[in-house]
Amino acid sequence: MPMISSPFRNLARHPVRSGLALAGIAVTTAMLLDMVLLAGGIERSFERMLMGRGFQIRISPKGTLPFDTEATIPGTGNLIRSILADSSIVQAGPVLGTSVYARRGDTLLTLFGYGIDPAAQAQYQLEAGADLTPGDTTGLLLSGPAARLIGAGLGDSVTLVGRLDPQMAAAAIQHRLVVRGMARWLYDYRGQPSVGAVVPVMQDLSHLRAQDRVSAVVLRVRSDAEIEQTSRRLQRRFPMLEINSVANLVVHFRERLVYFRQLSYILGSISLIVTVLLVSTLMTITVNERLGEIATLRAIGVARTSIVRGIMAEGAALTLIGGVLGVGLGTVTARYLDRILTSFPGLPAAISFFVPNPASLGVAAGVLLATGVIAGAYPAFIAARAPIAATLRTEAT
Amino acid sequence: MSGPARLCGPTLVASVRDLRKDYPMNGETVHALRGVSLEIHQGDYAAVVGPSGCGKSTLLQLLGGIDTPSSGSVELLGTRLETMRDRELTRLRLTRIGFVFQRFHLLPVLSARENVELPMAEAGVSRVERRARARQLLAYVGLEDRADHRATQLSGGEMQRVAIARALANHPVLILADEPTGELDAATGRGILDLFQRLAGDGVTLVVVTHDERLAAEAGRVIHMLDGCITDDVPRSAFRVPHSEATVDARGPGSGGDSPPSNAELGTRNAER
Repeated sequence: MPMISSPFRNLARHPVRSGLALAGIAVTTAMLLDMVLLAGGIERSFERMLMGRGFQIRISPKGTLPFDTEATIPGTGNLIRSILADSSIVQAGPVLGTSVYARRGDTLLTLFGYGIDPAAQAQYQLEAGADLTPGDTTGLLLSGPAARLIGAGLGDSVTLVGRLDPQMAAAAIQHRLVVRGMARWLYDYRGQPSVGAVVPVMQDLSHLRAQDRVSAVVLRVRSDAEIEQTSRRLQRRFPMLEINSVANLVVHFRERLVYFRQLSYILGSISLIVTVLLVSTLMTITVNERLGEIATLRAIGVARTSIVRGIMAEGAALTLIGGVLGVGLGTVTARYLDRILTSFPGLPAAISFFVPNPASLGVAAGVLLATGVIAGAYPAFIAARAPIAATLRTEAT
Repeated sequence: MSGPARLCGPTLVASVRDLRKDYPMNGETVHALRGVSLEIHQGDYAAVVGPSGCGKSTLLQLLGGIDTPSSGSVELLGTRLETMRDRELTRLRLTRIGFVFQRFHLLPVLSARENVELPMAEAGVSRVERRARARQLLAYVGLEDRADHRATQLSGGEMQRVAIARALANHPVLILADEPTGELDAATGRGILDLFQRLAGDGVTLVVVTHDERLAAEAGRVIHMLDGCITDDVPRSAFRVPHSEATVDARGPGSGGDSPPSNAELGTRNAER
C-alpha cells in the first residue's frame, strides 16, 4: 500500500532534519553497540584465552587463582601422576611462572620465565623455529619482545640467570640455553619479554626444583560434559589445592569485573533512552506538521490502524537507517577504544574489551528496532486521535 | 450509474434532519448549524452557497461523517451515521463517500497514480486492479500523461483533478467538495467546473460548497445558507440528471468511454466491500 511503503520517502521530505536525526541515532546506536560489546566482551575474551589450548581445568595453590600470586604447588610430579590416574583426565600440563634474567655483557635483563611441559603445550603457540621436546634441558623459546630485548634469534645461545635465593644466600644459578623457537605466550601483556624452558630448568633457576614446585597445572578433560564433575571430584581429592574449571574462573572473573557490566548497562540504557527521545521528538514534529494530511487521510477513509502503522513504520525506518550507520561507527570506535584499554600495563594482549557476540548483537538490534517503533507510538497515537473536521478547519486557516 | 456505486431502488442518497452543531469558542457557544434539514437524491448536483461562517463546510463535514452533530441526524443510504462506530464510519467514508478539498490535500511524496490508488489500497483492492482503475480515472480527469509525477510536480488545477480522481476511486455514492475552485485561478477553476459538469452529466451525486458563482450557476440545485440555516433550496431541473436515467444506465448520458470507469469494468462490485 502506498502509505505503508512510503516511510523512506517521507523521511526524504526534510533531508537536513532527517539527516541530523539519523546522525544522532547513529551516535546513540554506536554507543549502544559498544556497550553491548563491552558488557560481556572481556569475559568472552578471557574465556577464549583460557580455552585457547583446550585445557578446561586449572589447579593452583589454595586460595589463589592461576598466576594470581607467587604461591606454588609442591610435589608436582606425584600430583600429576595421581591426577592422570583419573580416567576423565586426558592430559596434564605443569606451568611455572617466574622472574629470570638474561645476561648480556655485564647487564642482566629482566624477563618473565615460563616453565613448560612441551608435551602439553598449554601456554603458548609456536610461531617460528622448532618446539622444545620434553627432555630438552638446553632449549629455549623466546617471545618476540624478549628476542628484541636480548638481541637473540633462532640458534643463538642465551645465558639465563635465576634469582638469588635470599634464604640460601646462594649464588645465582645460570643456564646456557639455545634458542629453538619463537613463541607467542597466551597470557603475555603487550610487549612482555618472555622466555620458556622445560619445567626442570625453570625450577632450577627459581630454586623450586627440590620441592618440584609449579605455579599451576592445567588439565584436559575427555569431554565437556565431564568438566564440572571432574573438577568437583578432584577438589574433594585435593582439598589443599584450588581446582577450577574455566567456566568457574570466568565466574570469578565476572565477579571482579561487575562494575564493567554495570557501566555498560547504564550507558547502553542511556543511549536507548536518547534514541527514544530523538525518534519520538522527530516523529512528533513530523506528525504535527502533517496533521492536515493525516486528517485528510482519515476523512477519505484511511483507518486509524493504517495511520498508526505508517507512522510507526517511519520511526522504525529512521531507527533502521540510523542503526546501520551506527553499527559502522560503533565498530570503528570499539576498535579505537579497545586499543586504548588493552594498552593498560599488565593486561594480557589476548584480552579484548569489545568482543562481538552474535546473540547479544541480535538482541541489541531487536531492542533498537523496537525502540524506534515504540518511539513512533506516541506521535502515531496523536495523529490517529486528531479530530478530523477540527484539524481540517485549523489547516484551512 | 457510472463510477460511483449503482443504486437499485431508493434514490435518496442522504438526508439530514434538524441538524445542529455548536462549537465552544472563547468560552461562548457558536451555533454553526441551527436545525438544518435536507435531502440529497441520486444524481443531484447541489451547490451550497452562502457567506463565510454560515455553516456550509460544517454541513458538508457532518454529511460526510467526519464530524458529529450536537443534535439531529444524518442518514446515508438509510444508515444513521451517529449510530455507527468509528471503524464503521471510516469504512463508510472509504467506500461510499468521495471528498474533494479546497487545498487538494494530496500526499506530496506519492505520485498522482499512487494518490489515486491510496483509497483503493486501503479498501483492499488488488494491486493490478487498483493500478488499472487509477489509470482509467486519471485518463477521465485528463491526466493520463501525468500519472507518475509527484503531487508536488503538478499545478494547482492538476492537483485538484487528481483529488477528484482519488474521490472517485472506490465508486462512492456521494461526492462532497469543499470550495474545490477556491485555490485556483479563474481559468483553471473553469476546468474543474467543467469536470464537475461532466461528473454530474455522468450521474455522479455531487454536493459542492462554493463561493464560485459560476459553479452555483451550473449546479442542478442551489442551497442557500445564512447564519446556520438553509434559507433557500432551488432545484434547477434543467441541470439535473434524471433519476431514472442514472439508475438504469450506470454509465449515465455521457457513457461514450470518457465517463468514470465503473465497478463492472474492473470486475469488482461494491457489494464485495
